[in-house]
Amino acid sequence: MRQSLHIGLTVSGVVLAMAAGQAIPRAYTDRMPQVAGEDVLAMVLGDVRQILGAAMLDKAEEYFHGGVRDVACERGLGGAHAEHGHEEGGKELSAVPDAWAWLNGKVHVQEDRHIEGESSRELLPWLWAACRVSPQNVQAYESSAFVLESMAKRPHEAVRLLEEGIGKNPASASLEFSLGELLLRSFHEPARAERAFAAAREKCRPADGPEGEKDKLLKVRALFYLGYLAKQRGDLGRAREYLAEAESLDPQNAGTRDLRKFLERK
Amino acid sequence: MSVRLRQLNALARLSVLELYRRKDLIVVFVLAAVILLPLAFFEPFGVAGASRYMNELALLLVWLFSLVIGLGVSARLFPPEFESRTIYPMLAKPVGRGTILFGKYLGALAASFSALAVFYLAYGLLTGVRQGVWFPPILAQAFVLHAGFLVVVTALGLLGSLVLTPAANLTVCGLLTAGMLSFGQRLPALAAAQPVPGKWVLQAIHWAGPHLEFFDLRQRLVHEWPPVGWGVCAAVSAYAVCYAAACLALAGWALRKKRF
Repeated sequence: MRQSLHIGLTVSGVVLAMAAGQAIPRAYTDRMPQVAGEDVLAMVLGDVRQILGAAMLDKAEEYFHGGVRDVACERGLGGAHAEHGHEEGGKELSAVPDAWAWLNGKVHVQEDRHIEGESSRELLPWLWAACRVSPQNVQAYESSAFVLESMAKRPHEAVRLLEEGIGKNPASASLEFSLGELLLRSFHEPARAERAFAAAREKCRPADGPEGEKDKLLKVRALFYLGYLAKQRGDLGRAREYLAEAESLDPQNAGTRDLRKFLERK
Repeated sequence: MSVRLRQLNALARLSVLELYRRKDLIVVFVLAAVILLPLAFFEPFGVAGASRYMNELALLLVWLFSLVIGLGVSARLFPPEFESRTIYPMLAKPVGRGTILFGKYLGALAASFSALAVFYLAYGLLTGVRQGVWFPPILAQAFVLHAGFLVVVTALGLLGSLVLTPAANLTVCGLLTAGMLSFGQRLPALAAAQPVPGKWVLQAIHWAGPHLEFFDLRQRLVHEWPPVGWGVCAAVSAYAVCYAAACLALAGWALRKKRF
């Protein structure tokens, strides 16, 4: 009698738990702590993913410089980290001779060496991890595409990756612009490139003031390419429209000046 | 003299046997295999041939496990003897406190070195199979300096086991090791950027703290930089021996003052 009561209670508990599991997400759709359809990584790590993604990207940058951190160098991955802050090793800061700093300088490499050619594949695991851990990290997609295209000579993979990045960051003008440049540079496909630049122009909405400068520059660069491609296919009227838009944004910009000169040419 | 050597030998052997009896080495090997094996078949973006990330992760595990073993063995040398009161018959043998201390230290070192040799052998085989580079000279140098690291860490663990509780000892030594490996190189710059009390503290740490980052050749090994000069290697090894000697002298003083 007692055994059948236990079994009955257990079965009822299981049924109730399953019913609650089904009903609660439907009843409180907008108030659930996790968004339906998120992957396991997103649910477990939350916003820590952004930090991890940035750390992976820094690791790739470190690999690019032969394992040396915090180097003063103008070259970076895709111009992403164009210039790095150089943290002084300490030897210049100390007035007394520092034997420990001297030993450290001898043990740990101080000079800068860039990874090139086939060795660039060594960067890919960290870039891959940065893209997977933090799909909202646009910089990770751009740097990865740059390495795949320019260093590893795998432009098809680079295009696939940028398209994936655009899928995950539909508002990113920067990714559309990178895709356009890649299509023009490596595939000589002006039609597809023009579509990407047009998407970049659409998505790019520079804010007023200094914080919008970066977006403004991106939009002018997209307009330069659009004007250039429009003239190439003989649509001068369209090209002049792009020039006018670029001039309204930033008349002194190198992209605007170049487009003006290009359109003035016969 | 020969009696002293026999005593040291017996004490050291006990520590080595203890490591292998506890099967720590097998546990860390299985853990390393579980982490590294899936990565060995990983092809990011469909591109094969990347190996440095594997080497870096493998070396990170080697460092982590060697630290766990070195600290674990050295921190366990005295507390169980005090707890179970087996230190009395040992001292009554009679074996001097200095001999006990040094013998146990040698044992911890021998146990840690044997584990380290196994790790580096496994690493050498891994890189040989994956990259076709079998035991380059820099690997020997990395092993020598890593052994220097263990010389310091086991001495610190031993000293800590005499003045702190086991949990506090492991925590302090672990934090000290991680802190020095991460920030040791940048201490002068960090000190220079601080206002006065913080600056003095950081400078004191810089001058007196164990510079464990001296022993870390992972960057050169992973990124295929040339080896360091053997003179530098000798200087770093001498630093390890001097630092460990200072820790053992302090530990000897603590053991003499200790009331059981």
